[in-house]
Amino acid sequence: MATLREWMHRLWGTIRPNRREGEMEEELRSHLELLADEMQQRGSKEDALRVARLQVGGVAQAMEAMRDQRGLRWLEDLTRDLRHALRSLRHAPALTSTVVITLALGIGANAAIFSVVRSVLLRPLVNRDADRLIYIRQTAQGIRTENLTFSVPEINDLKSRVTTIAAFGDFSTVDFTLIGFGKEPRLVKAGVVGGSFFEVMGLRPVLGRLLNAADDGPAAASVAVLTHDFWTTMLNSDPSVIGTTIRLGPRTATVVGVLEPSVPYPEETQIIANVVTSPHHLGATMVTDRMHRMTELFGRLAPGATLETAREELNSAHASIMREHPDAYSARAHVQLQVKTLRDQLASPARTILLVLLATTAVVFVIACSNVANLILGRSVRREAELALRAALGASQGALRRTLLAESLLLCAAGAMLGLMLARPLVTVAARYAARFSVRALEATMDASVLWLGAGLAVAAAVLLAYIPRLPSYLRSAGLGLAVGSVRVTPGTNRRLRIFATTQIACSFVLLAGAGMLVATLTALQTANTGYDMRHVLAIDVPPSATGVGSAATLNFFQEATRRVGELPGVLGVAAGMIVPWRDPSTGLKLQFAFDGYQPADGEENPTCRLRPVSPQFFAVLGVPILAGRDFTEEDRNGTELVAIVSQSVAGRLFPNGDAVNRHLWFSNTGKPQPRRIVGVVADVDDENVVQEPAPTVYLPLRQLGLPSRLFVRAAGDPYALVPSVTRTIREISIDQAIERPTTLEDVRAEVLTPERLNAFVFSAFGGIALLIAVVGVAGVLAFSVSTRTREFGVRLAMGSTPSQLLTGVLKEGAVIVTAGITAGVLSGYVLVRVAATYLGTARVPGLLPAVGAAAVLTGAAVIASLIPAARASRIDVLQALRSE
Amino acid sequence: MSNRAQSKSDVLQGTLDLMVLQTLNTLGPLHGYAIAARLEQVSSGAVRLNMGTLYPCLMRLEQRGLVRGQWDVTENNRKARFYTITAVGRRQLGKEKDEWDRMVSIIHAVLREQS
Repeated sequence: MATLREWMHRLWGTIRPNRREGEMEEELRSHLELLADEMQQRGSKEDALRVARLQVGGVAQAMEAMRDQRGLRWLEDLTRDLRHALRSLRHAPALTSTVVITLALGIGANAAIFSVVRSVLLRPLVNRDADRLIYIRQTAQGIRTENLTFSVPEINDLKSRVTTIAAFGDFSTVDFTLIGFGKEPRLVKAGVVGGSFFEVMGLRPVLGRLLNAADDGPAAASVAVLTHDFWTTMLNSDPSVIGTTIRLGPRTATVVGVLEPSVPYPEETQIIANVVTSPHHLGATMVTDRMHRMTELFGRLAPGATLETAREELNSAHASIMREHPDAYSARAHVQLQVKTLRDQLASPARTILLVLLATTAVVFVIACSNVANLILGRSVRREAELALRAALGASQGALRRTLLAESLLLCAAGAMLGLMLARPLVTVAARYAARFSVRALEATMDASVLWLGAGLAVAAAVLLAYIPRLPSYLRSAGLGLAVGSVRVTPGTNRRLRIFATTQIACSFVLLAGAGMLVATLTALQTANTGYDMRHVLAIDVPPSATGVGSAATLNFFQEATRRVGELPGVLGVAAGMIVPWRDPSTGLKLQFAFDGYQPADGEENPTCRLRPVSPQFFAVLGVPILAGRDFTEEDRNGTELVAIVSQSVAGRLFPNGDAVNRHLWFSNTGKPQPRRIVGVVADVDDENVVQEPAPTVYLPLRQLGLPSRLFVRAAGDPYALVPSVTRTIREISIDQAIERPTTLEDVRAEVLTPERLNAFVFSAFGGIALLIAVVGVAGVLAFSVSTRTREFGVRLAMGSTPSQLLTGVLKEGAVIVTAGITAGVLSGYVLVRVAATYLGTARVPGLLPAVGAAAVLTGAAVIASLIPAARASRIDVLQALRSE
Repeated sequence: MSNRAQSKSDVLQGTLDLMVLQTLNTLGPLHGYAIAARLEQVSSGAVRLNMGTLYPCLMRLEQRGLVRGQWDVTENNRKARFYTITAVGRRQLGKEKDEWDRMVSIIHAVLREQS
């Protein structure tokens, strides 16, 4: 108890040391005087005082002993060091702010990226026993289809043959026009699931109940569960929605529950409903057609089974299913089964990009640290006189080191704090960015682990910085000479400065070259000629499920809409189709065609072409030139002659003599061929890939095949200005019609290119930061070199050197650093790509242009940066320089 | 840092505290010099306290709440800081005296055994 009290007193004494200083001294003096009074009776006053002092020791020593007792010495020392550091840093605001901002950028970027990496790669899923939840996928690498999905017969076959999976959960999506909750009709994406889905996924409701076995099958009542996101954002978390009835396209369903927040996979949906809500899911095609694939498959491992055993069993079952139904699995497609845990499946597309990003931020941190190290090193050289003086006055090496450590701790702590403040908005940005690759990124938040990371980085930087400068030692005779105030740079210090500057240049080069590569890719994609008129065409989703009626009514509705929208002022043309280029999934719309007059060579299959039903005027509206023959007309309808238009790559390949028009084609896989006469040839346009490829396409009239769902409007002026009048016009025809996503083709493409643009942007930003830091670093090193060589330059000028010779000398010094840095960058970049290739499978080496560009930018920037110190060197006044020491 | 220098006097520390507390307990409020003079006197000059030992000791006792210091004037009209033992100090003194007696008797016993 007494000891605790003493410590409190001492702590207080540490915080307020001045309070008792005077009192202490007074007490000691009074002691001496009392002693002297007594002695005086035996001699003179002065003698007495002297004897007294001899007898009881000096005031100073006693004061020191009392000071030790007064406070906590080490804490006092530390606070004194910190206060001293604070004071001396306040006198160097430029250096301090440069260091703090540099560190903040480094630490902030690392903290933000780390948060995202953590949430995507490390954090567990909310799903119960996520380690036993697996995701099964059918791929067809032969036709470049990553996800073929499953058909219902395939799923049933797997279910009946596999024992290592306790239960399967199936999930497919349909678009519904949702009318209800007292809101405008809107298109929602709905998951359609069997009764075991939620049990397999291991998810719980936050409200009401989820779907179970009783909701399965065609006899159950229509019920739907809302996803958490939809419920909170669109319905303001209204608990009274449970039990309400909503219209989903042609049917109604009852809302029975709200799902807990969970990763939306394979697709984000607003609601999840049972199969009876979707007429399509009950139809014969869905239930019996092995080729009708649209369902995703999940499974829960049976007790005792492992991922490996399940994968083995699933693969062998799949192989025998393929053997039994050779017609459904073309050898060319190379259909395979992929079995992963859901967790891995979610993380894998983001893993590469996140690891690259993490490496990038680490490089930025290295650059930041080496730049800061340079600044600190320069500063400590300038302080060498002060340090030498303190060493001479008895400060131990430890004490000097502590002074430096206090300073770098302060700097790094400030940097870390600012960095973590920066990290908060950065996390949001980085999460939105990474969400393109993994939905889990959206869960990223700042938390304690990031604070630890920031603190760890700061401490690492601080220790590094404190141990870089060399301390003056008693043993070095130079010690006191330095105290006179001159600055002499040891070769060791100079070498270290250069090494750090070179490191920065090398790291910046790697980042810049990488960023350059991404920018080059993006530019190539953005400026590519797509074959469409990108600016003037507005694409609008007008989903037919809205009206919920058959194809004849839909066709009439579209004809009416086309006619009335076409009459609006500012509209040059209107057409209907089924696919908005790049935006709509179209992989299923591929068929094999047979052509009269074309005989496939032995072993070759009939050509596979894209199938695109379009309305008349489609080519004119989208700006695709008709190369031969004619466009479709309103007369190309059911009951009249079946016709088709083919793209140039079809015509050119099959009929190299240019006689494609008037030949016939038909679907080669159907039982009874229906020949269609080719009436025209149009230019090739690739509406699937952003990187353009040959796109053999067969166009058919919408009135002969297909169901329109997309409207294309060609505008005279600003296409977006037409949106209100187009919307109004369509609603006049059908009040319940959902009208979604009116976008120009240019913006559709921009949207599709977003990941590329983001990649380019993020890495350019990092490259820019690195460049900035590196340039500051080079300039700093040269400026320092110049300022320490003032005398040398003075001597040179006195000996007859011209200022321009000094200038080129300094520039040369900069050029050497940059050249060494770029060389190191090229080498380390090459090694890095090699290492990355072994871990990530693929890694691209930047082309010559980005590499040369990066080198040029770096060299240019460095030369400009060296100009300032070089100019200063050339302006040195001889006499002042010679006197400066 | 300071701990290293004190390690040797740590042995003395306890007894010095005890002597100072005892002096203040029997003689009432005293200033530092008077305490030193009294200790020198009763020990027949064997205990000569350096200021650097005495005042940190008084400060420590005060920090622990065993004594209380107050500025006052001596009979010769000199300002000095007078220390008074507190109730806590008196209790602590009693405890430490008992402890000391016990120690002494133990050491006595041990020494007698050896001779």
